[in-house]
Amino acid sequence: MSQRVALAAPVAVALALAAYPVVASGYEVRATLQIFMWIVLAGSWNLISGLTGYVSFGHVAFFGAGAYAGAILISKAGWPWLAAALVGGGAAVLLALVIGYPCLRLKGPYFAIAMLGLNEVLRALVSYFEGLTGGGNGLSLPTLDATVPIYYVMGLTAVAVTVLTYLIITSRFGLRLMTIREDEVAAEAMGIDTARHKLYAFLLSAAGPGIAGALTARDQGYIEPISVFPLATTITMIVMVLFGGKGTVWGPVLGAVVLFVAQEVVWARYPYVHPLLFGALIVAVVLLMPRGVLGILQVRYRLPRTI
Amino acid sequence: MATPVLDIDRLRKRFGGVTAVDGVSLRLEAGRIYGLIGPNGSGKTTLFNCITGVERRDEGRVVFGGERVDGLRPWEIAQKGIGRTFQVIRVFPELSALENLLVVTRDRLAAARERADRLLRFVKLDGLRDEYAGNLSYGQQKLLEFVRMLMRDPTLILLDEPAAGVNRTLLNDLLEAVRQLRDRGKTILLVEHDMKVVMGLCETVFVLDHGEKIAEGAPGVIQTDERVIEAYFGR
Amino acid sequence: MNVVVTPAMLGQVVISGILSGALYAMVALGLALIFGVMRIINVAHGPLLMLGAYATYFLSTALGINPYLTVPVSMAMLFVVGVLLERTLVFRVVDAPELSSLLLTFGVSIALVNLAQLLFTSDLRSVEYLTGAWVVGPFALSKSRVVAFVFAGALTGLAFLFLGRTKLGKAIRATSQSREVAMVCGIDVQRIHLVTFGLAAALAAAGGALIAVIVAIQPEMGQIWTFKSFLVIVLGGAGNYPGALLGGILLGLIEQVASLFLTTQLSEVVAYVLLVAILLVRPTGLLGGRQT
Repeated sequence: MSQRVALAAPVAVALALAAYPVVASGYEVRATLQIFMWIVLAGSWNLISGLTGYVSFGHVAFFGAGAYAGAILISKAGWPWLAAALVGGGAAVLLALVIGYPCLRLKGPYFAIAMLGLNEVLRALVSYFEGLTGGGNGLSLPTLDATVPIYYVMGLTAVAVTVLTYLIITSRFGLRLMTIREDEVAAEAMGIDTARHKLYAFLLSAAGPGIAGALTARDQGYIEPISVFPLATTITMIVMVLFGGKGTVWGPVLGAVVLFVAQEVVWARYPYVHPLLFGALIVAVVLLMPRGVLGILQVRYRLPRTI
Repeated sequence: MATPVLDIDRLRKRFGGVTAVDGVSLRLEAGRIYGLIGPNGSGKTTLFNCITGVERRDEGRVVFGGERVDGLRPWEIAQKGIGRTFQVIRVFPELSALENLLVVTRDRLAAARERADRLLRFVKLDGLRDEYAGNLSYGQQKLLEFVRMLMRDPTLILLDEPAAGVNRTLLNDLLEAVRQLRDRGKTILLVEHDMKVVMGLCETVFVLDHGEKIAEGAPGVIQTDERVIEAYFGR
Repeated sequence: MNVVVTPAMLGQVVISGILSGALYAMVALGLALIFGVMRIINVAHGPLLMLGAYATYFLSTALGINPYLTVPVSMAMLFVVGVLLERTLVFRVVDAPELSSLLLTFGVSIALVNLAQLLFTSDLRSVEYLTGAWVVGPFALSKSRVVAFVFAGALTGLAFLFLGRTKLGKAIRATSQSREVAMVCGIDVQRIHLVTFGLAAALAAAGGALIAVIVAIQPEMGQIWTFKSFLVIVLGGAGNYPGALLGGILLGLIEQVASLFLTTQLSEVVAYVLLVAILLVRPTGLLGGRQT
């Protein structure tokens, strides 16, 4: 019974969201599109950091890399946006391979700090290759109103990331990722090739943000370094996952919905206080409820990890 | 003499100015139980860590089953057939008892499950298979760590203080399990402080002091060795 | 690429590299101390440097104090900030999984940067003092950079004297060797953590104060310093304090040499590629060090 509900509820929500653009206003569609984007970003961050415990402080880099790859293909090579979005995802995965291979072989904070610096580097590179990227002047895409189709593709990406998370968490691959978080030395002594597992998780976690970046670039029609590489985006996805519950399937979804709505309704009135609050929120969650909302429920009511 | 299972040749490991393992050579043969003893800080755990690749040795060779394994990563060494437990228990606390075992093998899931179930029954933990490992008692975690190490069916088993913090009944079960493994042809090397355990179980004992092997032999012989007595009771 | 490098240019590069390298070394020493003693990487190290820079800016512009006289004041202020941070927040995650300490100090760093934006705005601010350069033979030595070098060298020297000669400093080094042994020897490890964190914040503040005289400051200036300090530690070998000095000088030199061939825009890219390349080839650092 409960299993049927567990399956029926997301399907019903998905159907309702699929029909939503028919009745909703332009603003409402855009807002929902944004929620989809945050589910993609938070869910992806959860795949590497929530499962393995290796913190990525620069996940927005994959969003930005996807945005530039997609925008360049659309504006300079005339690619259709859907194909460009997929290549955007691919570009992000490639970038993750270049960074992840050297940094994830090591224990300790190397990976976290390397990701902290990645953003600055990409920004500098975008400014340097001005001919291709437009540098600080940004890059304009040909005019096209594709918000509704992008809504669907972003929604599907969000579903894909969430389903992927479910599949990973219920597999032995996912359990092995968790052993890295629990005790990496013991995991290695038991014969688990932790470096390879971390790398795979990292590559998977880069694809979604890359696609989301390219889709966002297409939807907004114009990108510049500050708009696609803001540190605030990384902070927001981290806060969403920590709040919802890292290492769970629905935690990132819950965090994305709740914090996005809160951001729109409450904090939009205090734009300067809002990032300060996010910093404080990270500190508070780490100290007071490190498992997040769903993690607490999971432990208290002995729920499976797949919530 | 048969080819040894493990052949350690003049292994050396330094930390800063301290030489933790100083040119130790050991040979272990199949189907025997070996003990490794020595005062605190004599390099026993460091030696374990060098064998299993947790620490990189500075000099010397470790040959396992005729193949050099020094310089390999820990998981490669584990995959070749060296299993170990830790001095401080290291189970995966937020994985269930069953999951703690399942993650270890690459066998097909059905086969892995069967083996895991059998091992959990072997140590009477089958009733707790879905409990988080972190919620188990100390003794239960110790048993879980022991059978987790057996999931890969290792040929060489390194036990770091199996008797520490374990009650009599549990200890007897563990020792019996170790003997059974030996009878099935496994080689066991254990670090232990409890001399009764070492003397009752091991066929050959190695003694380390300040990173050097100072004695090697049958338990009875070791007990009367002057250098060993000196190392333990001061000079 | 058509770059002709004359000996004079090379000399200039070496001088500039050493001048900025000393600053890198001093700031990185703070991060290295916290890492060595508490086993955590303080992501907020750079933002603490930023606060030190603002302290000097306000003390020298509002109160008219000579900016170089404010260096000890900003160090003292940030020492207190560091101690408070450790006592209220950081001590709670010292033994927690790495994820917790990284996220916590990251949260603190975000909060500090945004607090600074709220209080000081994002405007660029500069301390107008000691502009221009001394010309020695074919070389031009920026005055503020030379003074910064002297300060950084002296303060780093003092820090090493403190670590090597005083009882407290020896206790800090003992704790970073092995916390268990330190506790057995009767060292109050909690207090050592507190002092180390304060000292590290003070070193960062000194860096910020000196930088404020060299370039214009703004709230986001700090983050790159966390990254560069970490890079210095990796260059020098983690857990190896003298290594941090060499690492700092090395980073300064590499950046300057790179600036001969590339635009300064790419100096951060160079530093980054360097980090990734070292981790790929020699993960224990160029100069070796304790593996963790």
